[in-house]
Amino acid sequence: MSEETADVRLVSVRKRFGGVVAVDGVSLDIGRGTIFSLLGPSGCGKTTTLRLIAGFEQPDAGDIYIRGARVTPMPPYRRDFSMVFQSYALFPHLNVAENVAFGLRMRRIARGDRGRSVDEALALVKLEALADRYPRQLSGGQQQRVALARAIVVKPAVLLLDEPLGALDKLLREEMQVELRSLQQRLGITAVFVTHDQEEALTLSDRVAVMRNGVIEQIGAPRDIYDHPRNAFVASFLGASNFIDGIVVGREAASIVVETPAARVCVPGDKPTGERVRIAVRPERLRMERGDADGLSARIRDIVYRGPITHFYLDSAAGPLLSYRQNARASEWTIGDEVRCAWDVDSAVVLDGPGE
Amino acid sequence: MKSAWRWFLLAPPLALLLVFFVVPVVYLFWVSLHAGSTSELYGASLTLRNYGEIIGDPFYLTIVRRTLGIAAVILGLCLAIGYPVAYFVALLPTRQRMVAILLLLFPLMVSNVVRAYGWVALLERRGVVNTTLSDLRLIDAPLDLLYTPSAVVVALMTILLPYMVISIANTLTALDRRYLEAAQALGASPLRTFLHVTLPLSSPGIASGALLVFLLTLSAYVTITLVGGPRSKLLVSLIYDSVTAFQWPRAAALAFVLLALALAFTGVMLALLRPGRVQGSGR
Amino acid sequence: MTKVPTAGSALRGAATLVAFALIVVPILIVVVAAFSPNDYFQFPPPALSMRWFVEFFGLDNMRGAFALSVELALASATIATVLGTFAALFLARRGGALANVLQSLFVAPLVFPTIILGVALLLLYKTIGMPVFAGLLLAHCVVGMPYGFRTVLASAQALDPSLEEAGQSLGAGPLRTLVLVTLPLIWPGVLAGWLFAFIVSFGELNTALFLTGPGVTTLPIEIFSYLQFQGSQLVIAAASSVQIALIVLLVTVIERVVGIARITRAR
Repeated sequence: MSEETADVRLVSVRKRFGGVVAVDGVSLDIGRGTIFSLLGPSGCGKTTTLRLIAGFEQPDAGDIYIRGARVTPMPPYRRDFSMVFQSYALFPHLNVAENVAFGLRMRRIARGDRGRSVDEALALVKLEALADRYPRQLSGGQQQRVALARAIVVKPAVLLLDEPLGALDKLLREEMQVELRSLQQRLGITAVFVTHDQEEALTLSDRVAVMRNGVIEQIGAPRDIYDHPRNAFVASFLGASNFIDGIVVGREAASIVVETPAARVCVPGDKPTGERVRIAVRPERLRMERGDADGLSARIRDIVYRGPITHFYLDSAAGPLLSYRQNARASEWTIGDEVRCAWDVDSAVVLDGPGE
Repeated sequence: MKSAWRWFLLAPPLALLLVFFVVPVVYLFWVSLHAGSTSELYGASLTLRNYGEIIGDPFYLTIVRRTLGIAAVILGLCLAIGYPVAYFVALLPTRQRMVAILLLLFPLMVSNVVRAYGWVALLERRGVVNTTLSDLRLIDAPLDLLYTPSAVVVALMTILLPYMVISIANTLTALDRRYLEAAQALGASPLRTFLHVTLPLSSPGIASGALLVFLLTLSAYVTITLVGGPRSKLLVSLIYDSVTAFQWPRAAALAFVLLALALAFTGVMLALLRPGRVQGSGR
Repeated sequence: MTKVPTAGSALRGAATLVAFALIVVPILIVVVAAFSPNDYFQFPPPALSMRWFVEFFGLDNMRGAFALSVELALASATIATVLGTFAALFLARRGGALANVLQSLFVAPLVFPTIILGVALLLLYKTIGMPVFAGLLLAHCVVGMPYGFRTVLASAQALDPSLEEAGQSLGAGPLRTLVLVTLPLIWPGVLAGWLFAFIVSFGELNTALFLTGPGVTTLPIEIFSYLQFQGSQLVIAAASSVQIALIVLLVTVIERVVGIARITRAR
């Protein structure tokens, strides 16, 4: 991505707190008008990275650019961004309209223009009727919308969101995910948000950075990193994954042939013969067939019904396996059945590294 | 972003405390190490004689003993009466409890001289107690209730009791009921629950209440003088007398003896009750 | 805790009644005596009279002492609370060894025997030649600052830290954040601290004992001198009642504004 289209750019940013390195040499580019998410478990550095962009933390090394300008030494109130906080941080002593107008006041926008912008912003989040209420009189979902309105009304270069939907219940969360995305696209704002919920990241983002221990494990579009995880951590953080270990014994066109304890399989990839590798296959791609078909031998150990999908837990010579079946019709399997597991060649991925 | 301007917040209050709290006290200690002087504030030579005289002189030791004795009795009474009262207050419904605390706070806001005067009006020869008793024909001549050590104890005890009650009541109120329920589920009777759970967990409140009562007893010059009379001297009275006699090194040494007693008590209290294990440290 | 009345709770209730009586009765006696029509103290009084209050306000030294006490309390409470607020804002989000030491220092005047502070300050003032009122004012600022410090610290720490960050994310610099976000939310703490500092200064004895001088004396010290040298006079009862009345007035006004919960919790 070229520097002109990158709204946010981090170059080798490093931050430590005492003895712990929270962010370890992180570099990324975020394109204008895209939604970018930082995804990872607690303590992976995603929130610190967001706060570094905001300026609430100062990096020990590296630089941060917003719209091409080097903002690293600048305090937050001089950077062109706004933020939706996890706790919403609505000012309790101001009503909804005054909260939303705050950023405009700071930018010395005249009262008349302020009022108009506030009305527009509140209309966008469908809260015009509540302009005179105080935050304590609002529900969680309403507070969240006010926080959003307050952040977008100032038309920032980048909108930062820190686990914005974490406090909402499942139904409300899914509703807000859709609204958030449509709002962002309508306004064309560059957005960066932090989440530990992989589903949320996959739903909302144009690009995702999966982080662990202060380092970005993989960046890409949701589909790309889901279908082609680089290592076992990414594979299992983004949904479930089957792992099968084996040794490379040969090559065939664009694939390698891997000898596993259960069968010999073909996987797209390029690894030298004799190398130990780990293969990842998504459970929804792992098909179960009758006992005499081609594929890995396995036996069904447990069946768990989950509404639209049923989980099948299998034991095989290659280790435990997991298969998802859509419940389009009644299941033909029972516990104890012997099955053969197979998948399309393109459904498997060779992972980097020896695994976790 | 921790900007430098924040230090402008710290400077004025810190300066006030350093110049008008720390420096004077250190200077006082410095003066206590000098000999006395009739013409200057204090003499030229450095000496430990002031402390030596205090520790060696039976007069001073008697006064210190008497001071500690009275303080101990007052502390004991405040604990004995204060704990049950605090328990009662802590069990009240919220609204009533807040009213009770306010009723306890209010006397603390009234100047001690007024409260001591109240006791003088009660206990003097023409005071309320004596006139009531003689009106009821229970006595023939007025009793000498004022100007006794007991009068000092009673007056100071009632003046300082609110500190103890509020301190313990706040701790008890904050006590998680579930600890008590857990103890009862494990088979402890109400008495044993109290002894083994409630009492230890309220030790921070006991400690801070005891500390306040003891320290304030040591310093209560006005009450001691008004209720105890000009002849019943405690350590703080000696300090005042030395100052009015311009014997600064003597006054300073006596002051630090008082401070030493306060610190010693603080140390004993913290060691005995170990409130830290209940409250935890720092943030 | 069960609400079944037991022997234990009956005893505790009785103890509470006795305790409250012992604590409050001496104060009530003084107030009642102030309205006595006669020269001597009579309980119960045969009628109510304001003569002692008239005499109180008629005596120059009494009136002067009262005025000085009010001025002193107003000035010292205000300065003490402003400084205490500064210190609390500085320490609100700070951790670490230095912060702990500073916090202990700012709370120290509460536990330090004020009588020793009075002696020490008198010695210092005599050495450097400090004017009486200024010296007394500074002493009361030291004594009063911990109250504002504690209440404002509690208020500031209770604030969601994101609020100040939100202000900054919207473009408010440190000063504007302080004025527009922090102060509006901590003002009850500031007010409660000011109230305590005022009340403490108004009734303060131990430093005033040493730091007052001819012509510059506070009401409590004036009462004390009267009691020591002129015995129990009913004009003292009037003086004491005036002191009590002012405090009741202040607490009532502040309670209306801030609420009873804040005051009892702030302690």
